[in-house]
Amino acid sequence: MDWPTFIQSISNAVILGSIYATVAVGLALAFGVMQMANFAHGEFFMAGAYVVYVFYALGGMPFPAAVISAFPVVAALGVVTERFVFRPTRGNVLAGFMATAGVAFILQVIVGQVWGVGLMRSVPTPYMGAASILGAQVSWQRLIILPSTLVMVGGLWFFLHRVKLGKALRACAQDVEAASLQGININKITALSMAISGGFAGVAGALMAPINAVTPYMGHSIIVTAFIVVIVGGMASIEGSILAAFILGFIHTFVTTLFDAVLATMAGVAFMAIILVVKPTGLLGRVRM
Amino acid sequence: MAILEVKNLSKNFGGLMANRDLDLEVEEGEIRGVIGPNGAGKTTFFNVISGVYKPSGGTIKFDGTLISNLSPDKIAGLGVVRTFQRVALFPNFTVLENVNIGRHLHARESLFGAVFGMSKQKEIENLEKSRQIVDFLGMTEHQDELASNLPYGLQRALNVAIALATEPRLLMLDEPVAGMNPTETAEMTRIIRLIRDEMGMTVMLVEHDMRTVMNLCDKITVIDFGEKLAEGLPQEIRANKDVIEAYLGAEDIVA
Amino acid sequence: MMRYLAALAVLVGFAIMPEVIGEYYVEIMILFMINLILASSFRLITTCGDWSLSHVVFMGVGAYATALLAKFLGWPFWGTVLLGGMASAVIGLAVVFPLLRTKGFGFFIGSFALGEFVRLIWVKFHFPFGGPRGMIGIPSIELSDIDFYEAIPYYYLVLLFTIACLAILYRIDLSRTGKVLKAIYADEDLSRCIGINVARYRAMAFSVSAFFAGIAGVLLAHRLGAIDPKNFDVNTMVYLVIWVVVGGVGSFWGPLIGVAVMMLVGEAARPLAEWRPLLFGGILIVFLTLLPGGLDSLMSKVREMLDKRTADGTEKI
Repeated sequence: MDWPTFIQSISNAVILGSIYATVAVGLALAFGVMQMANFAHGEFFMAGAYVVYVFYALGGMPFPAAVISAFPVVAALGVVTERFVFRPTRGNVLAGFMATAGVAFILQVIVGQVWGVGLMRSVPTPYMGAASILGAQVSWQRLIILPSTLVMVGGLWFFLHRVKLGKALRACAQDVEAASLQGININKITALSMAISGGFAGVAGALMAPINAVTPYMGHSIIVTAFIVVIVGGMASIEGSILAAFILGFIHTFVTTLFDAVLATMAGVAFMAIILVVKPTGLLGRVRM
Repeated sequence: MAILEVKNLSKNFGGLMANRDLDLEVEEGEIRGVIGPNGAGKTTFFNVISGVYKPSGGTIKFDGTLISNLSPDKIAGLGVVRTFQRVALFPNFTVLENVNIGRHLHARESLFGAVFGMSKQKEIENLEKSRQIVDFLGMTEHQDELASNLPYGLQRALNVAIALATEPRLLMLDEPVAGMNPTETAEMTRIIRLIRDEMGMTVMLVEHDMRTVMNLCDKITVIDFGEKLAEGLPQEIRANKDVIEAYLGAEDIVA
Repeated sequence: MMRYLAALAVLVGFAIMPEVIGEYYVEIMILFMINLILASSFRLITTCGDWSLSHVVFMGVGAYATALLAKFLGWPFWGTVLLGGMASAVIGLAVVFPLLRTKGFGFFIGSFALGEFVRLIWVKFHFPFGGPRGMIGIPSIELSDIDFYEAIPYYYLVLLFTIACLAILYRIDLSRTGKVLKAIYADEDLSRCIGINVARYRAMAFSVSAFFAGIAGVLLAHRLGAIDPKNFDVNTMVYLVIWVVVGGVGSFWGPLIGVAVMMLVGEAARPLAEWRPLLFGGILIVFLTLLPGGLDSLMSKVREMLDKRTADGTEKI
């Protein structure tokens, strides 16, 4: 691997890690509160990409505005999923998880029937050109992912640690019973965490829309990775999932560059299997799965 | 020779010392009581011996074999079987099925055996033995009821029955009469005595009910703050100054 | 007595069915029976509390193994079916090993990812697996001059295998081994403390169920003549989950009922075309939220009510 390729790969890995982090943080957050494991998280990602396709590519809205509007749209999907799937299956992680596979089916069909199943929807690149970093070329389109992730994860941290509602959410994640005794409305918190979770997946999908192939089935590829990240990081650990996201970003990028994409996915899975054997709680998790 | 030899046993969770340098020897055929105030580390002690927790230090020998680092199923296989403080049973099985699952160590079923019914004779024997145990605990009329439908007292008795079905050499009972009414307590006390006298098992029990412990046990070990405070015959323990102090305010020690 | 009569009636029904229904439905029935083996073997792992998301991948292992053996080595059917099952069982053991340290949801996700690993091997290696396009030209079965390329002979072959596999799985379910698996699910700590080697039993359940999934794969591969990695992806897995959830895993019959009902629904919903997955997704959600025990639990509730009625109304004889 020569020097420019190396630098290129590093920057690709960081950017890929950022996307994984944005997706996985949402997954870990929802799992932390009431063990909501969302199989449709990949479809939420897909929905975010379609928001950009519809608002920006079809509707002519400015790209940043389209990305931002992906948050409330997909957050709404999260709230609906919480109300009609997670709340009735509360206390049974597997049931909730399998039921959200149904949600995934429903979203795929609706999106496919409304905007077409066949060829991918093309989303024109809003930011042409590339920045030159230490001799490597990184497109602006990819580069904007980095500050976006920082803003979102930073915002989430601020919300969870400095805002009253966010603190209530953390209290819920630690001990539901104690939280409800303190007068925290559990249903409100679970809905809120699914809204944030959905919003994060939506924005990640929106950012990737001009880069990825936008199809109703694009969630498949991200959901496997997202769950690997969350398991490696330690289910329900937000810090752990961020750490694991970047590790996976590096594994995927470097194995893809050196070999191919299929092998990269396999390497990610193998890494997870090793973590499961060596440290079943995940890197930063406390609860053994 | 002592059937159970515990030397310098320690168990800590993070910074918390739940058991510290415990020494204990139980003779074959003995009924041993382990008592102590709440949070003294009795249940931890049981969990370590039965292999649920790994000890942080020290050794446990059963009948001369080192068992400190074995898994619970291996320890059970050697003949050390414990019950739980909670109601621990298989709720969707009948009483008889529950006890028969306890015969696991005495079943020699292979997968092929299961499919072609090759272990039939052995299973008939196991079922017969299970019936005897159900009968021994006076539960014959309930044998076909689902375990989840039993009243509390009988569920506790079933816990003991499942453990008995494994035919242990050392039976460890974690608060066997907790929550029972006086009649049930008296019955359970009688049964525990029979387990030793008729089945020849060694019994070690953790119990809060002082009357039961004093009545039943040949020897008592007192644990406080994870350490052994005293050990001796019931009347010695009753008179021990340290023990009375540790239990200060709990008048039931003399009851 | 009633039970034996019912079983006999079902058997006779299956035996004369090809004479009554058309060729199209014979093909559907072949798939139906293969799915019965798949769903019933899946239930075996769920009885010890392990829901695996890799089960269809083991069907794939059997299918690929048989394809390789029959196509490249020209093995006869009896060899491929045995080795196909064995290959699944062995790979099942390798897959379950790291998963034994996980439980419940962790097991579910972990099995999903490791199943993907196995599946990606087929995608990755063009030789001998054919890469993403899979393998074609898997020979059909020939046994003592009977050509199983025809649907009706194949139907009877699959019927034979289905009866054998379900009978074995049924025996396991009722045996001590089956009870031990249920005991592990009900109370793992207690199971351990009465001497049950939990890890060994979980691994065994996984491997045995992989074996039968492998057999289902062998039967599928010889019928389809072509397989590709997509046949065994998470989408197919979700359909298996739907069958099993709709039927319920509380009894041996639940998953079988689930496959029957959902394949009927699938046929009836053919006019919906591409909207069909939406229906299936909806059914999955409705069952998990409103009837988590599946149709099986509904039936046992009804049976209980009937029993109570007779118990109240009539005297014991």
